[in-house]
Amino acid sequence: MLDKPASALRIRERLLESERLMDETGCYDGITELHLRNQDPLKFETLHTKLRAYCVSAREMARRISASPGVREVGEMVVAIYTPEGDAIALSNGIMVHVHTMSRFIKWMIRNGYEENPQIRDGDIFANNDAFIGTVQVPDVMDVVPIFHSGKLVGWAGAVCHELEAGGITPGGDVALAQERFTEGLFVCAEKVGENDELRRDYVIRCERNLRMPIYWVLDEKAKVASCIDMRESVKALIDEIGLDYWMQVSKEFIEEGRRAQLARTRQLTVPGIYRGHTFYGHVTAGKPGYQPLGDPDWLYNIPIEMEITTDGKIIMDFEGTQPWGYHSMNCTPAGMDGGMFVTLTQHMNFEGLVNDGAWMATELKLPHGTWTNPDNEMVATATSWALLLPAYGVFQRLLSRSFIARGFVEEAFVGQVNSPMIEMGGTSQYGTPFGMAHFECAAAGSGALAIKDGLDTAYVGWNPESDMGNIEIWEQNMPMLYIGRSIVPNSGGAGKYRGGCSFLSTWLVSKTDHLRLVTSEHSSRVFDNGGLCGGYPAPTCQKHRAVRDSNIFELAENGAPLAHHTGTNPYRSELEVRLEGEHVTLEGPYITAPHKTGDVFTHSYNGGGGYGDVLERDPVKTAWDVENGFLTRQAAESIFGIVLDEDEEGFPVANLEATKRHRAEMRAKRLARAKPVSEWMAKERERVKAADFAPEVKKMYASAIKLSPRFTGDFSAFWDVDAKSTFGVE
Amino acid sequence: MTSYSKEVIADLVAGTLPWPQTRRIMSAYKDDDRFFKYVAVLQERVGWKDPILLPVGDHLFICQSGDERVTKCECGHSFGDYRRNWKLKAAIIVRDSEETLREIYPNSDLPDPDWMEIREFICPQCGTLHEVEAAAPGYPIVHDFEPDLEGFYRDWLGKPLEPLNKGD
Repeated sequence: MLDKPASALRIRERLLESERLMDETGCYDGITELHLRNQDPLKFETLHTKLRAYCVSAREMARRISASPGVREVGEMVVAIYTPEGDAIALSNGIMVHVHTMSRFIKWMIRNGYEENPQIRDGDIFANNDAFIGTVQVPDVMDVVPIFHSGKLVGWAGAVCHELEAGGITPGGDVALAQERFTEGLFVCAEKVGENDELRRDYVIRCERNLRMPIYWVLDEKAKVASCIDMRESVKALIDEIGLDYWMQVSKEFIEEGRRAQLARTRQLTVPGIYRGHTFYGHVTAGKPGYQPLGDPDWLYNIPIEMEITTDGKIIMDFEGTQPWGYHSMNCTPAGMDGGMFVTLTQHMNFEGLVNDGAWMATELKLPHGTWTNPDNEMVATATSWALLLPAYGVFQRLLSRSFIARGFVEEAFVGQVNSPMIEMGGTSQYGTPFGMAHFECAAAGSGALAIKDGLDTAYVGWNPESDMGNIEIWEQNMPMLYIGRSIVPNSGGAGKYRGGCSFLSTWLVSKTDHLRLVTSEHSSRVFDNGGLCGGYPAPTCQKHRAVRDSNIFELAENGAPLAHHTGTNPYRSELEVRLEGEHVTLEGPYITAPHKTGDVFTHSYNGGGGYGDVLERDPVKTAWDVENGFLTRQAAESIFGIVLDEDEEGFPVANLEATKRHRAEMRAKRLARAKPVSEWMAKERERVKAADFAPEVKKMYASAIKLSPRFTGDFSAFWDVDAKSTFGVE
Repeated sequence: MTSYSKEVIADLVAGTLPWPQTRRIMSAYKDDDRFFKYVAVLQERVGWKDPILLPVGDHLFICQSGDERVTKCECGHSFGDYRRNWKLKAAIIVRDSEETLREIYPNSDLPDPDWMEIREFICPQCGTLHEVEAAAPGYPIVHDFEPDLEGFYRDWLGKPLEPLNKGD
């Protein structure tokens, strides 16, 4: 039943007042006392649990409406309930990164006079996928509906799905080739897309005519609207039960409680101080088809982060010193940066209690204007911002983890998330119809190691704490490729006392199509975009793509000859080259080529996580198990970890503890003999720095950082005792 | 209030606590008395008497050494004043060629040594590998952690540290 507003909403004034109260009191909406919590803590907790149950149940219901394997299989969806001002009170599981981005979307509409035009009325549906308004990237399409009770706006219900096809210049959701906003795909900019609980037909038609695979987007829209209506009706029924005044107060106390809990948790789990770390990202596109010559084709980004934990428990993250935005798809808006912060906090600190926007309020992000974290140009593309977000928040996880280790909560220390390159595709499907899709098995990379155990193998990405690669059979129903292999990549976790989680590699046979466009996004080159901790090594850099065009695979199959099911462990000659005839392709960086057709073979490797601790301390028995099960090679066990393996009578590897001890003593002695004092290395390196004797991309990286950041310039100059500006020719 | 015995904390830190028990600790409310038990466990592990004030790595500690607070390796080697970057006093191996990177990454594609190198920071006394940096050539060595030691002990632990000697 629709509920007509009795009076002008004036929600904009309310939002401004709420922000003023926060500024004045330091507490959310001026809530300095948690009166309702103190009156009846059990009722308080029970109500929040109910709200969370509404969210979880609405999301699960909605996933059954969706046609997209991304949402149905992998769970690329989140829903949340908000205050009238747009602050999250409770949320479901799923892609929690969007809980705060939706908050920005709601506030943006309020600030931009949506009360007057197009008006906010009961039954309205608003949608957005514009990252400068509030999302991470174009495929993250969000829908919100207002919740009215007794003629008053009392909250919002919101839902986000990651769309597998966004209608951009290249197929799929994460539009790899987008170099500015106008090639990213279908934008819905804080638009009223439905009224009276129904999506507008003209909006659906626009989607149907501008997307390669509209069934995903349109049914996801219906799923999101259904979940929002479900949450809205549940909240209204709850208000009937507890009274409107109680709801208006308790919903704000929930958030203030969340804010206080985050500060308390920081004081409980960490150590105050300054933490620093960095990572890098390399983008190589020279000579690749489709890229417009708008900037340098190959570039290197540095991502330094300084995190301060204050004694009152506030976490402040500062990205000063990083690179400017560019004509590529990997820029990020402050909304996306917020989202990355929120989802990381949810996994590492804010995992119990009243999980909501309060946690975000206990943190601060410093995003230098003009950098990829906060572009000063709203025309830039953000279609694949995860490419930089994931490495950046991997650094954040390592910084937080150092604080956990210092405080003694070693079980929470985690070497961090990694970038996980995604495959986008389109063309003609195996059914002879046009199609487009992002393959979401990338949502199961290897995780960084923990400080007490190995990382998760093929089971983690940063954006969704419930990572899932999906079933092969479901993916095969949705694309003209058949799996001929999906296997663990040996040695793909970073080495260490505890190794990083391993990645996997998929090998496909293109089938029943004469036009399959394959594009990969978030694909770093030439550098490590992850790291290790406390002596652990980074996981290997992103792997090159290997493919075979016009292969003889059908002939081999007919003759019962062995096929290639993976690329193997010889970096100089892959299994594809050993087993298959045809045109062999090895391609660095994003994969953008002419369409594939039936009989071609394509491989794509995901990333593993960084290691923890000194490799020479790894457990030999566990390592034997790793070798037996294909996570490590025997060669790596011996040459990197110093573990000597024998074989038992059945040929399985068994650790030789005595020989291992001797071998490790030799390795440690060799390590010491090989190492030189840092001061000696620095003296030599300084000469190279003074001469700026670096690759052009490295020089450009330094010049850009120096131009944008006085702090980076000062630190660089002080460290090397040089004038950074003149060294790199910066005016 | 949640609390665990020193033995449990010792096993947890050593990575030898059975997984179901570790999992329960991860899921439970955190134990507020963890820090000093943790430090006691580490103090028993190291072969020296200087009181550990703060662990800053797997085998790296800030400790009170006479009148000074220094960063110390588990083997006893001192890297000097804890406020300075210990890495500058370490030994280093830099992997900046295909050959040396291949030693750690035997079967994968390698980073371009013109764009990226690996720096291994090693205790010059015992050879423990304390930290690995992956950085572009010429990138300043990062000072990982500058703890607010006084603020931590005073405001969070409620046990202020003795002031350092004047002039320090």
